[in-house]
Amino acid sequence: MEQHTGKIGIREYIAMVILMIGTKLADDLPSILFQKLENAAWFTPIIAGFISIIPIFFLIKVLSQYPKTNLMEILQIILGKPIGYLFVFMLWIMGLAANTFDTAIYTDIIGTMYFTETPTIFIYIVLMAVSAYGAKKGLEQIGSVAASVITYIKVSLFIALILAFSNGNINYIFPIFGPGKWEVVKESSLKVSLYIDFIYLGVIASYVSSTKAFTKGTWISLIIVIIEIPIAMLAYLCLFDYESVKLLNYPFHETIRYISLGFLTNIETFFFPFWLLASFVRFSIYLYISAVMFGWLFKIKNFEYLIPPFATLLVILGMIPETPTFTVADMKAKALSFATPTFFFLPLILWSIMKIRGGNKNEKKEM
Amino acid sequence: MKKRRCKLLSIILLLLVLLSGCWDQKQVDKRAYVYAVGMDMADEENKFNITYLIVNPEYGSQVSSNTNESPQELITFETNDLMTSKNIANVVIAKEITYDLLRVVIVSEKLAKDKRFIRWMYDATKDREIRRDSYFIVTKENVSTFLKVNKPKLETRLDQYFELILKRGIDNGMIPDMDLHRFFNITEADADLALGIYGTTQGNNEDTGKVEDQLLAGELKIKGETNATQFLGSALFKEGQMIGKLNAEETRITILLNDTLEMSDVLTTYPDPFDKDFRIAARLIKKQKNKVNMKIKNGSGEINVTIPLIIEILSDHSMVNYGRNAEKRKELKKKIEDNLSAKINDFVKKTQEEYKGEPFGWSLLSRRHFKTLSEYEKFDWMKTYPTMKVNVKVDVRFGEFGKQGEVPNLKRVRD
Amino acid sequence: MLKNLVSFISDKFKIKNDYPEQLSTDDIKLKEQNIDTSLKKNIETFERIYFIPDNTDVKIRHLFIPGINKKAAIIYISSIMDTKIIEETVIRPLQNNQHTTIEITNIISAESVSTAEKIKDALKEINKGSCALFIDGEDQVYLIGAANFQGRSIEKPENEVSLLGPKEAFNEKAMTNISLIRKKIKNENLIIEATTISKRSKDELYIVYVKDLVNEELLKNIKDRLNTIDMDIIQNLSILEQIIEERPKSIFPTILNTERPDRAAYFLEDGFIVLIMENSPSALILPATFWSFFHSADDRYQRFLYANFTRVIRGSALFITIFISAIYVSVTNYHAEMVPSDLLLAISATREKVPFPTFIEVLMMESAFELIREAGLRVPNPIGPTIGIVGALILGQAAVQANIVSPIVVIVVALSGLSSFAIGDISMNFAIRIIRFGMIIAGGVLGIYGMAAIFTIGLFYVVSIKSFGVPYLAPMTPKYISSNDTIFRKLTKNERFRPGYLKPKDVTKKAGDS
Repeated sequence: MEQHTGKIGIREYIAMVILMIGTKLADDLPSILFQKLENAAWFTPIIAGFISIIPIFFLIKVLSQYPKTNLMEILQIILGKPIGYLFVFMLWIMGLAANTFDTAIYTDIIGTMYFTETPTIFIYIVLMAVSAYGAKKGLEQIGSVAASVITYIKVSLFIALILAFSNGNINYIFPIFGPGKWEVVKESSLKVSLYIDFIYLGVIASYVSSTKAFTKGTWISLIIVIIEIPIAMLAYLCLFDYESVKLLNYPFHETIRYISLGFLTNIETFFFPFWLLASFVRFSIYLYISAVMFGWLFKIKNFEYLIPPFATLLVILGMIPETPTFTVADMKAKALSFATPTFFFLPLILWSIMKIRGGNKNEKKEM
Repeated sequence: MKKRRCKLLSIILLLLVLLSGCWDQKQVDKRAYVYAVGMDMADEENKFNITYLIVNPEYGSQVSSNTNESPQELITFETNDLMTSKNIANVVIAKEITYDLLRVVIVSEKLAKDKRFIRWMYDATKDREIRRDSYFIVTKENVSTFLKVNKPKLETRLDQYFELILKRGIDNGMIPDMDLHRFFNITEADADLALGIYGTTQGNNEDTGKVEDQLLAGELKIKGETNATQFLGSALFKEGQMIGKLNAEETRITILLNDTLEMSDVLTTYPDPFDKDFRIAARLIKKQKNKVNMKIKNGSGEINVTIPLIIEILSDHSMVNYGRNAEKRKELKKKIEDNLSAKINDFVKKTQEEYKGEPFGWSLLSRRHFKTLSEYEKFDWMKTYPTMKVNVKVDVRFGEFGKQGEVPNLKRVRD
Repeated sequence: MLKNLVSFISDKFKIKNDYPEQLSTDDIKLKEQNIDTSLKKNIETFERIYFIPDNTDVKIRHLFIPGINKKAAIIYISSIMDTKIIEETVIRPLQNNQHTTIEITNIISAESVSTAEKIKDALKEINKGSCALFIDGEDQVYLIGAANFQGRSIEKPENEVSLLGPKEAFNEKAMTNISLIRKKIKNENLIIEATTISKRSKDELYIVYVKDLVNEELLKNIKDRLNTIDMDIIQNLSILEQIIEERPKSIFPTILNTERPDRAAYFLEDGFIVLIMENSPSALILPATFWSFFHSADDRYQRFLYANFTRVIRGSALFITIFISAIYVSVTNYHAEMVPSDLLLAISATREKVPFPTFIEVLMMESAFELIREAGLRVPNPIGPTIGIVGALILGQAAVQANIVSPIVVIVVALSGLSSFAIGDISMNFAIRIIRFGMIIAGGVLGIYGMAAIFTIGLFYVVSIKSFGVPYLAPMTPKYISSNDTIFRKLTKNERFRPGYLKPKDVTKKAGDS
């Protein structure tokens, strides 16, 4: 039987990408965006999304030139051995940093919003243990889990947003341009790296059932997240107004605490498990990608075994910052601006060098 | 061997967690549920008096109906903030204090008028357990007295009483639908005036001679054996500080003008245009949103508001028989429109001159006329509003004239 | 150090063998021999093998065949065969024979006659209920099939009750079971392959499949796995199931055990493989996905809407069984604010006098429920109902009155216990009930967070399970061409595809195609 191919279908792929990027709407990302752009912050994901079409387009171009090859090898083939290696290492470090920030933030969300007295380390360990377990099961399994839960997660999000809109006031979105048109465009283009995860998808591109599925899946999920994140941010804005939303650390969680459904006045516990599910799957994917890259960097074949030590490392790193609500959010905001050029120019550079060198010469050698 | 030991280790770890863990675990029956928090002025500088209304779950439940415990516990003490007070309360209360069931935040008028009030109020956003959809009430007297005197006759517990009476009052439009979330929102936006539900237990035994619409809590004279508490009217807040009170009529006008506030079951009376001795009873129904036309010019502006209203005339003491008389209906409509518009415009003027701000949520609508926040902030709605030209018009449509459209001809009855 | 200790302990406790093992090599050698031409010698051999006359139901009858003037003897086991047939078709024709040149096989009028040359083969047949006929001077033995094992007749299914479907169930006779399947699939492509799977008791296993549907690789995979079995005895399918499944320690079953021939036939038509064995009142269907455990036979027979309504009910029952107690524990301990205020006060009031924490309270009641259930199952029939009454009424009521548990916990536990019965399949039922306890513990330790963590781990585990190469949640994820019969089923006429995860030879169900 040829069922055990280790490849994931387009459905699984889209579900994974949406969970990776879409879940950002429920962490501190909206709050970071609201800080600078106030009530026009919801433009950011849209503008950034449209800008990121360029790098994603070239990334797909490059990747489809080398099917069955992962991003690391492509980098090496195009940029040459030492530079390619360096780039992969840099990407890996960036991924690791993002992972650390994110896990620390998510632990902080759980700790401050739901389990105030439970020690952070314990929450952290549970979060990472579950994600590591998922990651260790392999990409196929992560994809399957993502595909089977995505509907429920999105339905719950949808209900939460509908309730938020019905409780909110649409006039809060005015004055429409917030701090000013150019300000919005400038800030938004600095935050393009909000979609940097798409670069990392190159790492797992070769596991997607076909190049066509990868291309199609990437575009579809980009469209979905471009729609999803702004709508969620609009919902927060309409519920809280820009002055208040700036004061909130985690708008999504304040939203689900505020909304009520008929006689059930406090329904955040309905939405919390879905958010948790999404987070677990999200970190499973990140852990897996990190492990794949690390395994490639240091020529470790059974990279699955790297996942538990990685998770441990993340717990240790993530526990370092004091009051992560602010320190990590600050670092993350800076990292977002810092990562933007990498995200924007790397695919461009790759593509142009590939073109200059006249396409994929190594194609045949690779096969 | 190694695997076995690994398993053993993990089981021990799990047991350890099971036995020592459960940090956030709190048994439901080991907690004291605060239903209402009251805040009063304290003698000491920079502190306030806090009052807890703790409900007794056992009271009135079937399982332990033979209990002699009282339905609630009321304590008042001085505190620095809303959080440490939980611990201080444990000096007298046996169980852990929780705000999980907190639905009502009550502030005395005296404290609300204090400048420091808003600082203490923001404690409510810090505590995880305090929900932003709790009702926000201002009382005439000290909250401790307000809660002490408050003794509903038909509801077993105060929490049921509050839930019901506030809901009813909001539906009637006698009190505004205000919760903490709204209060903070408006305060932070710093453009409109916020409202609070106004209530008291201090009855006023003198006849004020006002129509019921013009009353404030405590001014309605009710005889018989009942709870002394009244919820009527609203408290007006500007920049987190109470600056005035609105009576029932003004509260209703505010709700009419503010599309974000709602009322569903409003009965009111108007002077009868055909007989000065009587007033006609009417039901107000507002189905559509107000038409607000704003012209923002540099530094000032003009607001034209049209309120679409459906009115059902319920009484006909002057026996005019509107149902049959189109002419009279037209006249009545004109009279009601004039009367209402006049009242509303008077009130709007009052807000411009006396309060220098409006609780109608117009600043929100004005936002559409600005492109950027800095423009909007430079315009400074709160400052500009008093100088604006506001014109409110009421557009009345008649609904039904009671279940039975006609009344008998008075002359023939008397014959 | 530890190693020394272990070896020391095991030395101490080594069982002293009082009965030295006897070698059976002589016997084995004997059985390998060919049939002798001497009748006397043959009879002696068989008497030795069967311990005659110690062995009472093995009978030997000596005969003399007139006509050809030969001595003969028949050996049979009287308890597992129809002696009347032997008498009418073997003994009487032989004794009445007058022809002098006739072949033995022509004298015997029994329906099936075969010959064997090895003692081993003869023994095998005799043990299966054949009658062995030895003729003096011949080095072969005639084996006449007249097996008649005692057993039940076809009865109604007891575990998989259906309201509208056929009421026949498998019984302990393999041939009856095969007949029941053949009755439903009258097609020459229905293959029933027999293999012997155990070394000593020579248990026979029938592999049933539809030749032009089944995936050859899947079939080969299963056959390979059957061939690697190295066991002396495999009494029935339930034991075989445990031997051939991929993950014996897994919480989820990966092979479907059904007692309904209609279900087996339905799965056969979809390209699945069915295993049937003597002595098993059921058939094994493999590979099995989560959905095949979740579905019941009635889902097929009920109309579209009713069937899906039943599925919704069953789905919610599944959810309630796994989560309700855990939700109660975590909500009352960690998330009290989510309960509507009146209900919270009510819960708090009822718990006031209960000495145990909710977690212990729920665990206690759940265990009590499991206890009643298990006890009720083992109790002899006449007092069965009494146990139910005692358990439910006395235990629940008295516990509440004695302030040991709160009435809400009784409701919660009763609900979860009751709901667990909605999952018809016994294996899955167990799985669900065990998971429930895991959830309660998770809810007790970390509230909703713990439950979500366990649920996620569970989900990762479920998707990683494979039953003979088929992912457990297929065709939901990963996606395959199929009729999508998962949580809901389609209109019967729209179910056009066989499950794609089996890679059947023919994936579309067209009329006149099967």
